[in-house]
Amino acid sequence: MEKKIGVYICTDCEIGKALDIDQLVKVATKMKAPVVKTHPSLCLKEGVEFIKSDMAAEGVNAVVIAACSPRVNYDIFDLGTPSIERVNLREGVVWSHTPNDEDTQMMAEDYIRMGILKMQKMEAPEPYKVEDLSKNVLVVGGGLAGITAANEAAKTGYDVYLVEKADFLGGWMARLYKQTPTKPPYTDLEEPFIKDLIKEIQQNPKIKIYTSSLVEKVVGGPGTYDVTIKQDGKVETFRAGAIVSAAGTVPYDATKITHLGFGQFPNVITNIMMEEMASKGQIVRPSDGKPARSVAFILCAGQRDENYLPYCSSTCCIESLKQAKYVRNQDPDSKVFLFYKDMRTPGHYEYFYKSMQNDPGVFLTKGDVKGITEDENKNLVIEVENTLIGEKVKMNVDLAVLAVGIVPVTALGEEELPPGVKPGDEFIPYVMIETDIINLDYRQGGELPSLAYGYPDSNFICFPYETRRTGVYSAGPVRSPMDIPSTIEDATGAALKAIQCIELTARGEAVHPRAGDISFADFFMQKCTQCKRCTEECPFGAINEDEKANPIYNPTRCRRCAICLGACPERIISFKNYSVDMIGTMVKNIEVPEEEEKPRAIVFACENDAYPALDMAGINRLKYNPFVRVVPLRCAGSMNLVWVADALSKGVDGILILGCQYGEDYQCHFATGSHLAKIRLSKVAETLDRLRLESGRAQMEQISISEYYKVPEVLDSFIEKLKEFGPNPYKGF
Amino acid sequence: MAEQVISPDLGFVKDVIASGGESLKKCFQCATCSVVCNLAPDDKPFPRKEMIYAQWGLKDRLISNPDIWLCHQCSDCTAYCPRGAKPGEVLGAVRKLAIEHYSFPGFLGKAVGKPQFLVLLFVIPIVILFIVLASLGNLNLSAIPRGEDGGIVYAKFMPEIYIEVIYIAVSAFVAFSFVMGIRRYWKDMGVDKRGQILAAGSILGTIASIIGEILAHKRFEKCELTKERKISHFLVFYSFIGLAITAGWGVFYLYILHRESPYPLTDPMKWLGNASALALLIGITLVVIYRNKNKGKAGIGSYFDWLLIVIIAAIAVTGMAAQCLRLADVAVLAYPVYFLHLVFVFFLFAYAPYSKMAHMVYRTVAMVFTKHAEKGVEIVTKAG
Repeated sequence: MEKKIGVYICTDCEIGKALDIDQLVKVATKMKAPVVKTHPSLCLKEGVEFIKSDMAAEGVNAVVIAACSPRVNYDIFDLGTPSIERVNLREGVVWSHTPNDEDTQMMAEDYIRMGILKMQKMEAPEPYKVEDLSKNVLVVGGGLAGITAANEAAKTGYDVYLVEKADFLGGWMARLYKQTPTKPPYTDLEEPFIKDLIKEIQQNPKIKIYTSSLVEKVVGGPGTYDVTIKQDGKVETFRAGAIVSAAGTVPYDATKITHLGFGQFPNVITNIMMEEMASKGQIVRPSDGKPARSVAFILCAGQRDENYLPYCSSTCCIESLKQAKYVRNQDPDSKVFLFYKDMRTPGHYEYFYKSMQNDPGVFLTKGDVKGITEDENKNLVIEVENTLIGEKVKMNVDLAVLAVGIVPVTALGEEELPPGVKPGDEFIPYVMIETDIINLDYRQGGELPSLAYGYPDSNFICFPYETRRTGVYSAGPVRSPMDIPSTIEDATGAALKAIQCIELTARGEAVHPRAGDISFADFFMQKCTQCKRCTEECPFGAINEDEKANPIYNPTRCRRCAICLGACPERIISFKNYSVDMIGTMVKNIEVPEEEEKPRAIVFACENDAYPALDMAGINRLKYNPFVRVVPLRCAGSMNLVWVADALSKGVDGILILGCQYGEDYQCHFATGSHLAKIRLSKVAETLDRLRLESGRAQMEQISISEYYKVPEVLDSFIEKLKEFGPNPYKGF
Repeated sequence: MAEQVISPDLGFVKDVIASGGESLKKCFQCATCSVVCNLAPDDKPFPRKEMIYAQWGLKDRLISNPDIWLCHQCSDCTAYCPRGAKPGEVLGAVRKLAIEHYSFPGFLGKAVGKPQFLVLLFVIPIVILFIVLASLGNLNLSAIPRGEDGGIVYAKFMPEIYIEVIYIAVSAFVAFSFVMGIRRYWKDMGVDKRGQILAAGSILGTIASIIGEILAHKRFEKCELTKERKISHFLVFYSFIGLAITAGWGVFYLYILHRESPYPLTDPMKWLGNASALALLIGITLVVIYRNKNKGKAGIGSYFDWLLIVIIAAIAVTGMAAQCLRLADVAVLAYPVYFLHLVFVFFLFAYAPYSKMAHMVYRTVAMVFTKHAEKGVEIVTKAG
């Protein structure tokens, strides 16, 4: 169908008062837009009807709305076509610049031009639909997290495959003697409810349970995961739409903490052994089988210690208090000592902590346990420093319990870095620990990339339950140390994310953070040089490789960040509505005046954080210079270096990339995009030198949505710097 | 720091809890108490550390620790405690256990602290005085001889000589008991401070300065929540001194001037006696009023506290009533009330080393020790 562009300029919200609208209409008309109209208030019902009637009567099928930011009123301007472009005249121009000013007007005109060019270059995307899509959920792990995820998904109407390595369900929770309180008054131990949950899922026909089974291989992507499992030597295959990884944890190896004497002295045991002993009946000294009457709990047995387990395992404090109660319940004259780094019993656990604290036989103190030794009677001597009692103290006890922390099973392997990447490199695209858990048939490795300490990469604040593998959602302690209620919540969330992924995939839409985006990448393979940049740089492992190193793109794994588009030196990757040519054309067509006092800079702004920050600056009426031209990018990582060359060769004085925070504690919505942009930009310096231009003309700044107040300072100081360099010598060529 | 093997005593923890420190275990060692306490020394503040010693049943570190007596239970700590651990009440309980620990003979220390022995403790003076009365044939109240003016004469009901014999014997026992307790206490306190104490030289100066401080009630002034306690304690304290002088004056009249009681109300001795009794009554009433007023923030106090308050109040009330009933010539009430008065006085004196009354001795000793040790440190530091 022939594209017919309609340009609609809104004059509400001060736009009409601050700009010469007639001039804007002329610019749009000059750009050969067949329909160019103005309206006093496009976002009102009449305004929308105004556009719709044109669409119906005049066959307008590509709409450029020059009004407010695309971040607002997107629901109002849902006109039933994907071909909509919003030109941000309100937040981006009139709210952030001097009204009725020549430079402000030029800015608005450039944006109108860029919007129309973008629309001219845009094709209406059509959703990618997979054949034989499965809506079943694969849950890996049959502990509390896995059982909950399976149960919740099944309750919502989805069929579930639950694969458990052991020959029983319930994981660690099935081995508990008692459970920490979940009900008011939160002071009494409870029977573990896992048995009921196991029964519930065993009776649910929507859940197919495989115990003593391992996932051998997972081929494909969301909607079409072909799963091979092995159960007692038998191989079985099925298709699943999404995966919940709830593979769980193992206890930290207590023998590594040599000064605590585990493995050397029989009466030093771990919290796991304590639980087993309590389940069996009596709590005794393993050395002589006599009841333990004085028991020391060493909390943080290795946790929060760089030498052993650097993180908090979240549940050891409350579990130790629970086990202290086992001892106290056994003998009212028994004494229990708890040595902790910090007592971490948040929320309702505070009540349990208080009730245990109130027990005269429970002795609590902060302290560093320096060592455990044994006397001739196998009694233990605990040496503690920096206690609240003051000095260094020694104590004799019958039994010592090391409250060891948890290690996710995803950490049980060697760390592998991508080819050519060394530990300590400034930029490490991903860390893979091959552990044989989900065995994805992905070019970047079979497991989930690790963020820290072997936990799967997941920026939880921005993206709960996400991993860097679309369609795979980790849940429970394998994702992060957590307690029973949190695990239930986490697994429920992960099940919902899995369902969301399946449904979005079925509609051919992207998942979070570009949920609903129907565009997907297109590879012009004739020009591919097999350089592997796309397959290596994709943060989500969406691109596999064939034996000749040709990229094999999996649209359902793709999050549409377009980092591959930025990476490709041959510029063969494009989206229907986002391409190298499109952005390049926009950049090349801004008007660059000859006057030295009117410099021009292109600001490539990440749509996720930087662009909203610019909007926020406008909403707060912060003024910045009118010499910048903002071009939103799907991700800073989608920046292709050719755009820098395009801009500079057209006489633009500088290029500024506004991306998210990268490095440790990154905030990039696509994990590595902003860091990749920085790396690429560092390589542009050579090009600039070749063009005899100052490398400072291309810069990157990190900005987050909450830092909108920095926008004027960042943009204005960049322009000041460009003025110092003087005008781009290529101006006017 | 010295490395020490600690052996927490669960029994002691339970004792503290049973002695009015039931909130003990709520402490989570934030040290707000030590910060708000105006009496705690800057270098080694209390009661944060005393709270964990008590929680851990480290009896040795508490019982002989002079710090527990430097606390005057202002209860500012209790008022500010974020956990309701009531450090003031806990220290009160610990002091009670310290009194009990150093009491001689030990069983009396235990008995005074426990409500179940209260009746037994009263039975002792009642029986003794009863035997005296019976032997004098004074159980028939109407048969008791009257004075020359026909008025009631308590000396004819219970002749002074008997009272003096009983009370002198009791006082000797009490003094002996205190000496035994203090000796042990001083020794325990001095275990690791012997050098400082010796270096400080003569202790008389230290004692004099501490007594001066006590007479002036200076430390009470540092309390914030219970500031007014200075008034009530001051009244009770000085009325006891007034009553002691009155008693001495009586002895002087009786044995030197050979003037028989009762003395007219116009007599200066009676002025002092009645003024002191009135002050005692007002003082102890204020004690009750203030305690009640502050019970929300400071705690209501333990059995041990209230036993002393009630006994003192009973002495004041029965003393005043006995005088009034005598003057009103209501024999049927006057004699029994006077009898009760003697019982309460006996209770106060005979059990002083085991009741809260012992605080006046232990606190004084602890204050002297601390000050003397500080002096020793200063001297050693200067010399060094």
